[in-house]
Amino acid sequence: MLFDRGELVRRATRRTTGLAIGGLSAFAELAFVLCAGALLGVRSARPVVFGAARAIAEFERRRIERFHGQGSAEDFTGWRALQYLGVRWLVGGLGAGVLLLVLLGAGTAVVMTWQMVAGTGSPSRMSWYDPITFVLFGTLLVFMTVQALIGVEGLDRRLARHFLGPTAQEVLRRRVSELTVSRAEVVEAINEERRRIERDLHDGVQQRMVALGMLLGRASRRADQAPELLEQAREEAGRVLLELREVSWRVYPIALDSDGLHTALESLAERSGVPVRLHYGLTERPLGSVEVPAYFVASEAVTNVSKHAGATRIDLSVTREGTMVVVRIEDDGTGGADPAGSGLSGLARRVAAVDGVFTVDSPPGGPTVITAELPCAS
Amino acid sequence: MRLVIAEDSTLLREGLVRLLAEEGHEVLAAVGDAAALLEQTGQHRPDLVLTDVRMPPSHTDEGLRAALEIRRRWPDTAVLVLSQYVEKRYATELIATGGGKVGYLLKDRVMEVGEFLDALERVAAGGEAFDPDVVRALISRSTHADPLARLTARERDVLEKMAQGHSNPGIGAALSISRSAVEKHINAIFDKLDLTDSAAYSRRVLAIVRYLQG
Repeated sequence: MLFDRGELVRRATRRTTGLAIGGLSAFAELAFVLCAGALLGVRSARPVVFGAARAIAEFERRRIERFHGQGSAEDFTGWRALQYLGVRWLVGGLGAGVLLLVLLGAGTAVVMTWQMVAGTGSPSRMSWYDPITFVLFGTLLVFMTVQALIGVEGLDRRLARHFLGPTAQEVLRRRVSELTVSRAEVVEAINEERRRIERDLHDGVQQRMVALGMLLGRASRRADQAPELLEQAREEAGRVLLELREVSWRVYPIALDSDGLHTALESLAERSGVPVRLHYGLTERPLGSVEVPAYFVASEAVTNVSKHAGATRIDLSVTREGTMVVVRIEDDGTGGADPAGSGLSGLARRVAAVDGVFTVDSPPGGPTVITAELPCAS
Repeated sequence: MRLVIAEDSTLLREGLVRLLAEEGHEVLAAVGDAAALLEQTGQHRPDLVLTDVRMPPSHTDEGLRAALEIRRRWPDTAVLVLSQYVEKRYATELIATGGGKVGYLLKDRVMEVGEFLDALERVAAGGEAFDPDVVRALISRSTHADPLARLTARERDVLEKMAQGHSNPGIGAALSISRSAVEKHINAIFDKLDLTDSAAYSRRVLAIVRYLQG
C-alpha cells in the first residue's frame, strides 16, 4: 500500500528528526572546521584533527544511514572527512534554517488562528476573505517548507555519497578484488571437479576392472569352475561399461551440446533414483554459458538429494525471470543441508563464476530449496 | 597362511577373500578402513597383512600409514601394500622399515593371479616383493644414472628382477638363463655399482633399491 497513513507519518517524523540532528550538528561542525583549519598548520596536531574529522564524519554517515536510509562506505580517509565537513556544515545550517522557519510559521499560524477564533486583535480590519487568503498562503508555505526539507535531505545524502562513498577508483578496486576472489574460486571449483572425476574413476571403474581381471585369473586356475567364473566375469565387464558410461556422463553430458538443456535435464530426471518432476519454462535455448552451469547445478543437486536427503520426490524447475534464468530444486527430504559442504560450495562457486546468485534454504525437517539465478546476456 | 585384508571397495575385498580362500589361505578378517585394520591385526596377529593405500576417511594414504605402523608394532607380521598408482615415496618408506617381510605392488598385479600369489608367499617367507613398475620407476628416476648406464641390457634386467625381490633361481627362471649366468651378472652388477656382495638376498635388495633412490 502506497499511502499507508501511519507509515507516512512515521517516515516523515524519522526524516525530520534526522534533519534536526543534522541541523544541530552543523554548528558543532562549523566550529570544528574553523579550529581544524587553524590546527592544520601544526604538523603534530594533524593526526588528531584527521581522527576527529573521521569520527564526526562517521557520526554523520550513521545519522544518514539511520534516518534517511542511505548507506555509504565506512573506509574514507581523514582528509576526505575534513573536506566533507567543510561543506557539510553549510547544508546542515540550511536544514537548521528551514526547520527554524517551520517553527516560526507554525507559531505564527497558531497565533493568527487564535486571533481569528477569539476575535481579538483588530477585527475592524478583518475582511470576510481573510481566512481564505490565510489558508491558501498557509498551504503554500507548508508545501514550500516540505519541499525545502526534502531538498536539504537530498543535498545531505549526495554530499555524503560524494565525499564518503567509494570513489570511482575505489569501486574499480573492489570489483577487481571481487574478480580475483571469484577467479581463484573458479580454479578451485575446477580442481574439485577433477578430484571428483579421479575419485569416480578410482573407486568405480578401476576397482571393477581389477575385480574382473581377478575373476579371469581365477577362471584360468580353476578348470572345474571356469564356466561359472567366466560368466561372472562377463557380467562384471557389463557393469564396468555401465560405470564408465555413468562417469563420462558426469564429466560432461554430451547431450547438452547437441540437444540442449531441456533434453539433458529430461535424461537427468529419467536416470535419477528419486522421482523428479521437471518443469521447463524456457521458450528459447539459452547460451552455453548459462546452459552448462544450469545443468550442473541441477545434476549435482539431484545427486545430493538421492545421496543424503531421504526424499521421495524432487521438483526441478527452470524458468526465465527478467534477465535471469532461474534453476530451482526442491525436495521433501530431511533438510539440514550444509551450504558449506563440498558439493554445495562447489556449486556456489560455479554460479558465482558467471555472476549468478546461489542460495540454499534447508531448515531441519525440510523442505530443501536450492536456487541458482544465472544472468542471461540476451 | 593366515591373513588380514584391508580394502575399501567391497567388490574387490570380496574378490580377494574368495581368491585367497580358493588357494587354501585363511582370511581372518577383511575390513574397509585403516583403524579396523590395526585393530584386527593386533587381535589376530596374522602372518601377513594385505592392504590398499587409499581408504576412508580421507582417501589419501591411510593404508600406507597403517602398514608402517604395523611394521613398527608387530615386526613379525609381513605387510604387502596394494596401490593404484606407482608412488616412489610409498616404496621408499616401506623399504626404509628394513628387515624384509614387505612388499609394494600395483593393484593391477592382482590380475596376474599366479604372480600375485607368489609375491604373497615371498613376502610371508621374509623376502620382498616390489612391483616391476615400481622398480622401473626407481631405476629410471635414479640420481645415480652414471653407474646404471654402465650396465648392459641383460644386467639391467637382472637388477630389476633382483630389486623386485626374486632369488637367484627365480631370476634365472624369469629370464631363462642358467643359475651360474645369473650369479655372473650379479657379480658384475655389484662391481659396477660398488656394492659388496652379501649373503642374505633381502639385504641385497634393500641395498640396491636404496642405492637406486639416490
